Amino acid sequence: MYKNTGFISFVLRRFTGVFLVIYLAMHMFVIGSVNLGPAAFDARLALVQTNVFKILEIGLLAAVVYHAFDGVRLLMVHYFHLTNQRQSLFYAAFAIAALLTVAGGIPIILFAINGG
Amino acid sequence: MTLFKLQRYSAIALLVFMTIHMIVVHYPPFHIDFSRIIVRMGQPIWKAIDIAFLLSVLIHGLAGAYAVMTDVQKFSQARRTLATAFAVLGVVAFIYGSITILAFDPAKAGVKTQMDAPAVAAQMP
Repeated sequence: MYKNTGFISFVLRRFTGVFLVIYLAMHMFVIGSVNLGPAAFDARLALVQTNVFKILEIGLLAAVVYHAFDGVRLLMVHYFHLTNQRQSLFYAAFAIAALLTVAGGIPIILFAINGG
Repeated sequence: MTLFKLQRYSAIALLVFMTIHMIVVHYPPFHIDFSRIIVRMGQPIWKAIDIAFLLSVLIHGLAGAYAVMTDVQKFSQARRTLATAFAVLGVVAFIYGSITILAFDPAKAGVKTQMDAPAVAAQMP
């Protein structure tokens, strides 16, 4: 059961979904500082723009793109009746998410190296 | 509308909003501060887009979290209480988030009117 792509996608979708909800709460806390004025906003935003957070951003990007493309896969299976292609679509969603993570991660790493 | 449909429709909206957000806000990566993002956020259309984005993400996120939690037997016995708590949390988060989006006031960055925004942007590195 644990090697079944349906089970793997179910676990990954839930894991990334819960992670993204927790991130959303933190994101609202950071952006919400604008209510205290531009200086407070800049100060709090500076805390999350260090190199450590830039690396963590790549993990966030991976979670977002995987969750999104797994969602697209589910929509395709549901609306276009592609039940028999579920496994291939899972691999495709995973591959596209991996590619986009690398494509989006490289500029983040370069930005971190160049000192932002 | 069932929770399932709510999840599906908010997911489709999120695909659009998230794509816009990633392209406009994060690529290419740059140091974000108030004076830079106010150029975009000072415009009413972006405030409207971001409030719609906020609504979609809250519906999708909270409906998803509710679905995950009710899979746990302990919580599934208190579905109604949990649903009420999540609905209240969603409304509070939407009001707070909308106030936050509307707080991006160009006057605070020295931009007098919306028409001045391009001039401020041109001065930025």
